[in-house]
This record gives sequence, structure tokens and C-alpha cells, in this order.
Amino acid sequence: MEQLLVHCANAIESNDATLAQQILWVLNNIAPPDGDSNQRLTCAFLRALITRAAKSGTCKMLAAMANAHYNLSIDSHKFSVIELASFVDLTPWHRFGFTAANAAILEAVDGYSVIHIVDLSLTHCMQIPTLIDAIASRFEVLPRLKVTVVGGTEDVPPKLDLSYDELGLKLSNFARSRNIVMEFRVIRSSYADGFSSLIEHIRMQHFVYAESGEALVINCHMMLHYIPDETSSSSPSVRTMFLRALRSLDPTIVILVDEDADFTSNNLVCRLRSAFNYLWIPYDTVDTFLPRGSKQRQWYEADICWKIENVVAHEGLQRVERLELKSHWVQRMRNTGFRGISFGEEAVSEVKTMLDEHAAGWGLKREEDDLVLTWKGHNAVFATAWVPA
Amino acid sequence: MVDLENSSAASGEASVSSSGNQNQKQTSNSKSNSIPNSKKKRNLPGMPDPDAEVIALSPTTLMATNRFVCEICSKGFQRDQNLQLHRRGHNLPWKLRQRPTKEVKKRVYVCPELTCVHHDPARALGDLTGIKKHFCRKHGEKKWKCDKCSKKYAVQSDWKAHAKVCGTREYKCDCGTLFSRRDSFITHRAFCDVLAEETRAQTHPQNQSKAGASLKSEAEPKVKQAVDSPTSTAVAPEPATPASAPAHSTCVTTSLVLPTKSSELAENPARSVEETPGTGGLNGSCSSSSSSSSVGTTSSNVFASLFASSTVSGGLQPPQTHAFSDLLRVTARPELPSDLTLSANDPISLCLSTTHGSSVFGNAGQERRQCTLASQPALSATALLQKAAQMGATTSNTSLLRGLGIVSSSTQHDNIQWSQGLGDSENASIAAGLGLGLPSDGGSGLKELMMGTPSGFGPKQPTLDFLGLGMAAGGSSPNSAISSLVPSISGGVDVAPASSSSYGGGEYSSKEMGSGGS
Repeated sequence: MEQLLVHCANAIESNDATLAQQILWVLNNIAPPDGDSNQRLTCAFLRALITRAAKSGTCKMLAAMANAHYNLSIDSHKFSVIELASFVDLTPWHRFGFTAANAAILEAVDGYSVIHIVDLSLTHCMQIPTLIDAIASRFEVLPRLKVTVVGGTEDVPPKLDLSYDELGLKLSNFARSRNIVMEFRVIRSSYADGFSSLIEHIRMQHFVYAESGEALVINCHMMLHYIPDETSSSSPSVRTMFLRALRSLDPTIVILVDEDADFTSNNLVCRLRSAFNYLWIPYDTVDTFLPRGSKQRQWYEADICWKIENVVAHEGLQRVERLELKSHWVQRMRNTGFRGISFGEEAVSEVKTMLDEHAAGWGLKREEDDLVLTWKGHNAVFATAWVPA
Repeated sequence: MVDLENSSAASGEASVSSSGNQNQKQTSNSKSNSIPNSKKKRNLPGMPDPDAEVIALSPTTLMATNRFVCEICSKGFQRDQNLQLHRRGHNLPWKLRQRPTKEVKKRVYVCPELTCVHHDPARALGDLTGIKKHFCRKHGEKKWKCDKCSKKYAVQSDWKAHAKVCGTREYKCDCGTLFSRRDSFITHRAFCDVLAEETRAQTHPQNQSKAGASLKSEAEPKVKQAVDSPTSTAVAPEPATPASAPAHSTCVTTSLVLPTKSSELAENPARSVEETPGTGGLNGSCSSSSSSSSVGTTSSNVFASLFASSTVSGGLQPPQTHAFSDLLRVTARPELPSDLTLSANDPISLCLSTTHGSSVFGNAGQERRQCTLASQPALSATALLQKAAQMGATTSNTSLLRGLGIVSSSTQHDNIQWSQGLGDSENASIAAGLGLGLPSDGGSGLKELMMGTPSGFGPKQPTLDFLGLGMAAGGSSPNSAISSLVPSISGGVDVAPASSSSYGGGEYSSKEMGSGGS
């Protein structure tokens, strides 16, 4: 199937409408949208290819035809905050990062009176309650919390039907119920420019508060890969600039959690192969936690579809799913002047406990300092922790 | 280190280790040199007052078990003070050491473990229990093992807390959703509307329709049982804080909490007295802030609901002037079997609090009556008091007004808490019982606190100077308390109901008071 998809991609790229159509027809027959996980995966790629074809000249006819058969628009569900909480909770995909990050953060901020958490997370603060709870139950002296999040990243799934202001109110309420004073701040900022306004904001804040012993925690949960990585000959990539800016803030700890795959290639076929060989994992796992035909499963798969379409059908600024391998990120972080730190035994055991609550296929791998979530032995998500070198 | 001599002289129960001292010197010469000179301007938790005495205890001392043993039940205590308080429970003679009020120097404790962040005096912990638990948890042997899941704990209380919930593996939110994992429950709980409405009820007075339900937060105890944490009592309905109400429309929301660590209070209620020597004896609300869950949940043990308020130090909320009165009105919903009745129109308002069920408003007729009373928003405090007196008269079991007091104590967050409670009228005429929820025959200190208007308050007296009601300022002279309280009230203090005092707490503080006077 991968081969067929690659052929199809090549045909579309070379504007060979006839060949593309033939392959699409074949693919269509072998990859029903309600088939097994591999078929659904293929189907998602197929749709993405059609979408791509629809945008490029000669294959338009073909796309129009295909459109008749497929509803190409991806219906990204807008989650209520409760839905999202239970959704994120279904699989270790996010929880792995939450658990590892929380443990590392707790260790790093022990003893600080003020903890400023900058939550650059795809999951709309879903990690924060457990962190608040852990802080409230572990620390002898309860610190003050500041949570800063970015508004303006609502265009990528999962989408939330609640404003961040309201979300912040809920979190503050919750913090109060745990006897913690918490301040919540939304900074409008976009990954497209490397969160420059956020960085500026933190810089100002930190300039004022660093003296008073405030811990600055940068929690990056599957968000940094949206920052453009394209380099021009004259200047470094926005991604590099972002990491440099981050380093200049001298954070107490930086947690970087992301999906361990490489979607950065400019070559469509490379990306397609890479995505196909990675995104089978979320499709493969879904059977373990969601029944067929369930609503949540539709939302879940729609969000993967969104990803696939973004990787395959879009180019330039529109293409925001730019995952990088852990090894690339590690190199980037080191180049920017960060030093990796190990996750403690506590983090490892908590992650293990968490994984025990999920399907048997999940595993934990330790690579040097880092933790990697695996599915049937394949790397899925990595977690790394960094301090200024 | 300078502090060693100090601490050995000053602390009865904390023996000072020379080894800790030496270690510090050996390993970090530069550090220990810089310590006395280092200038710290802050006074925050974990970043203690630079003037505070830094105490370095040896691991042996920190691990020391309970040296003070009760002769009746063999229960051990780490401090004599605690034993004394415990002895009270057996009706044994007991005696508390009185602390010199002014001269107490704040003490902070460093961890003897050299590699630990809390080894640095700049990160010292503010209380002895804290450092002990810290040392055990972080550097001690985890000798308490859960039989069910083999999880190990260094601190016995952690282990006990865990054992209570281990294996139950079930967490239930008030919205009815069940969770098998704690993380899932926590995340859900944070975002669930149930929690939001509870808080909203307290912070958004305009939202009256929702306010009623949450006041009766009967579900909280369930949560408390389910939550495996020493701070589980913190789940209790918190003092509504003004901060989040206006912040709702902006980006910044702030939550405020009482600075009291409820876990410790829960473990050892007596601690509150020790730790807040200035206020503990005077202020029922102080020691009871952790037991605020008793609002509406305890059927008979609530003797009076004290309303504490906090002010925001930053002064974020100009539009909150009427918060208190609004809140008070909110709490009196007619359809509630309300145990709280209140009505007020000006920032200085009274609240009538009665015990739920059994005593005053035990029967439905009276409840209804109480509600009508409360639902007149413009009812003046005076009129309220009068009505209350009438009601007290009509109620056979007249435990209506125990006292009306404004108690203010400044806390480390620069909040001012104050509480007003009306309780038992039996002891005296209603208003004569003013002050601290204590019988009006309080000691000389009390009389001072009455601000020169001790007996003028009859229920029929039409105009009352409510600012002159029995007022006690923790740790400071009444005059200064008044002066600090009054401007802050008029300046738009945000006020919110914080807690009700449990029976135990109330009894406790009154006894405390008695002992202070004797």
C-alpha cells in the first residue's frame, strides 16, 4: 500500500492524471474508510493525495471526480473541555509526556516560591491539573503558580470549544481548591513567528521576577514542531531562533515532548513515506481503547486525518506538521546551549505505572537521558528534559 | 553558623546538631561564608525572611520519633505542646507554654542533606514538621510499604493516606462520572463545571441561581475520601476570593487561598494555635479555615458559621465593593434548607449563622421565615439583628446568636481575614455576646477588644455602630486593627465567606482563650 501511495504521489507530482487516477482507483478498492487500521490509514493518505491533486493544475478533474465519492473536508471536532480531558486520557500518547514532564518539573522546581509554567502544549492545559495536584500534595511549602499559555494556536486539532480565559478560570479555581495561588495568563502568539510575542512577554516578566527566585518552566508538549523549520541561506530557521530565544531566557527547566518522526522533508514522497511509517501507530492503537463506530473514535481518527492531509496535501506555511526526530531535537537543543538532564527514577516509575493502565503494546524505552514511549517496539513519543548548559 | 547557638538556646524540642554544622562548613566554605552576608529582600514561602533564625538539625533529630508519650493511651508526640493539647482530651491537667508574643523570632529549617536544595538557608523551610517530612520523603528510607500495591513511603502519614485509597481505585466526581485512575479524576475535576460552579457561587454574586446548589457542597467529602493526598482537606469549599470574579473578563485570573496549610491542621488541629500564637487563641475562624467543609455538610456540629474574608493585596478589583454583601445574599437562597442566612447591603454586613437542622432553624417554618428575612436585600444589619432576636425568641431551642465578632488577622499574604458570626444568644442579650464567639465574660483582653461599647447593644436599639462591634486584631492592638480594617473595608475590600468553624474548633479557641487569661 505504501508503494501504491508513493506511486500515486509521484503521478500527481508529475501531473500524470491518468496514472494517478488508476492508482487512486486501485487504492480506493483496497482501502475502505471502514477497513482495518492499515486500510483506514491508507484511506486517509488517499484522501490527502486527492486534496493535493485538487490544488494542482491538471489533476483537478480527477479531484472533482473523487470528490463525488469522498467527503474530503475533515470535520475536526470541537471538544468541550471535559470531552478533551477524557479524550486525552484514553491513551498514553499525551499522558506519557504529561507524566514524565510533571515528574521532571516537580524535581526541578522544588524549593522555589514562585513557579512560572509556560505551557506550550497542543492539549490546552490538560497537563496542568495533575501538575497542580502534584505540587499541592508533594511540596511542604506551597509555591505560587503562574501559568502562561499561548492563544492563537487554535487552528490545529484537537480544538477546544472554550476560550482560554474560561479555561484559565477553571484552572485557577482548581488551584485554589488545592490551596495554591495561581495566576493564568494568555499571550496571543503564533508558532509561525516562533512565538515571538510570548518570548518577549516572558523576557519582560522574567526580567522583573527572576531576582525573586522564580522558577521558569518551559513545557513544550507537541507544539514546537509547528514552528517553521525552513532555513534560508542568510538566516537560521525560525525554529532555531526560537530555541535561541528560549535559551536566552535562562529557564529553570525545559521539557520537550514530541512525536518521534520526521515530517520536515521538502520532498513529498519522503514525507509521505515517513508519515505512513509513523502514523500507523495511532491507527493501530485505537482498537485497544475505542470501540468501532464510537464518536470519540471518529474524532480521534479525524485528527490524524488532519495531520496526514497537512503533511501530504499542503506546502509552505500551510504545512505546519513538521515533526522532527528526537535525535534532531537533541542536536538542536545542544547546539543552542542546553544540556540534557536525566529523568529520575521517580519519573520512570510513574510512567511505568501509567503505562500499566493501558494496553499491553505500550512500552517505555530509555535512551540516554531521554524517555521514549513505544508501541510494539516502535518509537512513538519522546520526552526530553533540558537545562541551560 | 550563627544560628546554631540561637537555636539551641531557643528551641526546646529541637536539638541542634553539630554535625550538620560541620558538614556545611566542610563542603561549602564559600556558601557558608556568604550566608550571613547575603542580602535577601524577600519574605516568601521557601524563601524565608533573612532575619529568621536558620536552624540546622541533624538527621537523627529530624528522624526522631515521638518523645512525649501520653500516659493514658501511649500515643506519642514530637512536641510537648502537642502532648499537652492531647492530654486535654483525657481531661488530664495540661499546661501550654506561653510564648512571648513579640520576641518570637521566626525560625527556618535547613535540610542536613548537603546535595539538597533545602540545604541552602536561602531555601530553608518555614516549619519543623515541613523539614522533617521533607527529610524523610526525600532522603529517608521508605520503610512503609503498602501491602496491596507495594508502593513505599518514607512518611507514615503518607503511607496511611495512601492505604486508605489504595485498591479502591475509584474516584467519583460530583457530576456523577466515575474514574478508575486518579490522574483522570484530577484532570476531569479541574475542568468539571461542578467545581467551577462551586467557586462561581462564591465569587460571582450575580450568579445567584447557581449559588445555592454549591453552598451545599455535600459532595466534597466524597472527594476528600477519594483523593489520596495529605492535602485532601483542601478540596473543601474554599474561601471565595474576589480575584477571579472580575478577572473573568480579562486574561488574568488569580486565586487566593488561606495560607494555613490544611493538611497539617487536619493532622493536628492544635498546631494552628502554636503556629499562630497571635491569633489562635482569639480567632475561631483561623483555626477552622481548614475545616470549612463543614459548611452545610455537618448536620449538627456547626455551631456558627464564621465568614472570613480576604483582601487581595494587589488591589485588582475596584468593582468588588459590594462583594461581601452580594455574597451574603447569594448564600441565602429560599429553596435551600439553608444553614446560612444573611442579608446585608453595605460592605460591613452581618451574617446570621445557625446550625443546620437540629438547633435554631430546625423546622421548616422557621427556615422559610429565615429566608424571607434574608431575601430582603435592603434589610439593614440592625434590622437583621432585631429580627434575629425575635426569631431567637420564638425558637424554643435558642441557640441563635453566640456572638458577633469581627476578627482580623493579617496573614502572610497580606490578606485580612475577618469573620462575623452570630451565634448563641443564650449567654446574654444578643448583642452583648458580641465578640469572638465567646461568652461575654471573656478576659480583660476581650473587654479591651469590645472597643468601649460593650453593653449598649440591645436587640431593640435601632442604630448600632457595627464598626464598633467586638473586634479583635490578631497580634496587634485593637486600635491598629480597627484603623487597618476600616479603610480597607471602605476601599472596596473583597469579602467572601470562607469557612465555618466546627464545633471542635470553636470549643478549642474558647478554651484557649480561657487559658490565656488565666
